[in-house]
Amino acid sequence: MDHRLYYVVGDFLVSLLIGVVAGLVAWAIVGPGWNMWAAMALMMPLGMVIGMLIYFPLGSRLGAMEAMIPSMYTGMWAGMVVGMMEAMMPLPLHHAAEMGAACGVAEIIFIWLANSILRGVTKA
Amino acid sequence: MSAALTPAEITRAKWDKLAPRFDSMASLGAEKRWKPFKTKLFSHMQGKILFLALGTGLDIPFFPKGQQITAIDISPKMLEEAQDRIAAYDGTISAEVMDVHEMPYAEGTFDQVFTSCTFCSVPDPVAGLKALHRVLKPGGQLFMFEHTGSNHYPFRQMMDFMTILSEKVGPSMNRDTVSNVKAAGFEIVEVENVFLDVVKTIKAVKAG
Repeated sequence: MDHRLYYVVGDFLVSLLIGVVAGLVAWAIVGPGWNMWAAMALMMPLGMVIGMLIYFPLGSRLGAMEAMIPSMYTGMWAGMVVGMMEAMMPLPLHHAAEMGAACGVAEIIFIWLANSILRGVTKA
Repeated sequence: MSAALTPAEITRAKWDKLAPRFDSMASLGAEKRWKPFKTKLFSHMQGKILFLALGTGLDIPFFPKGQQITAIDISPKMLEEAQDRIAAYDGTISAEVMDVHEMPYAEGTFDQVFTSCTFCSVPDPVAGLKALHRVLKPGGQLFMFEHTGSNHYPFRQMMDFMTILSEKVGPSMNRDTVSNVKAAGFEIVEVENVFLDVVKTIKAVKAG
């Protein structure tokens, strides 16, 4: 992960926000009675688009790939997970927001872990 | 009726169109985040230097002082935007509008070539890298700061998805630039992944 505080806090908050928004959009669109797989299939790409829409005004202040990839990834997962849960049982609004926020936190931690594994020097 | 545009003309048109708002897109986030990595890469500058795709000159503040740099870019509009930064540089930058595939420089002209987020946009990346290989002296060095595709799930799939959209307005997001550098005849010296395996610096050499 990037150790500069501005980017640590910024990446975390943007991911949290995207998770909440994608969760709320999934809550608004998907309802009980939906086929679970259809809800997931719809909310995955829609969540990515939501991530991109939030990236451009906010995430772009934090970088290019370093902000764009987590934004899309969080949107995809938050949309998919909340959409799946909403299809299985009706969720209160605040539960959808909390679940989306949890996805946002989990995904940015996943990105930080993946980055800590992949980054570094390889010499020929 | 006009003839079909060549890939180079399409690339020029894309970047000419982006030029007036490129700084507002890139300077606030990406360039600040990448500053330490670019500054470290450009600190290797010495000798006769070619900088490929100068753009609006956002990289110029990261150049070490006192260098003599030949810079090219396919987009005249981007170079127009770069003029103030070129003038402010404490050294010499000679900038020209040029397609990397059509460089008129003699074989073995330069000691070093630098690129910065360039080979996401060069229409034929291997041919472009072969052109750089040609103008480098034997033993000459290639230094690149590039974003590329990923070799790992799920990032590889995401970069492929993003490329479908991004290619319409600018760069490709899923190129395998390290393999392209090798395919052009360079020997890889070092690859440093800056973010995941997507943003990286590449150091390579033309065999002496």
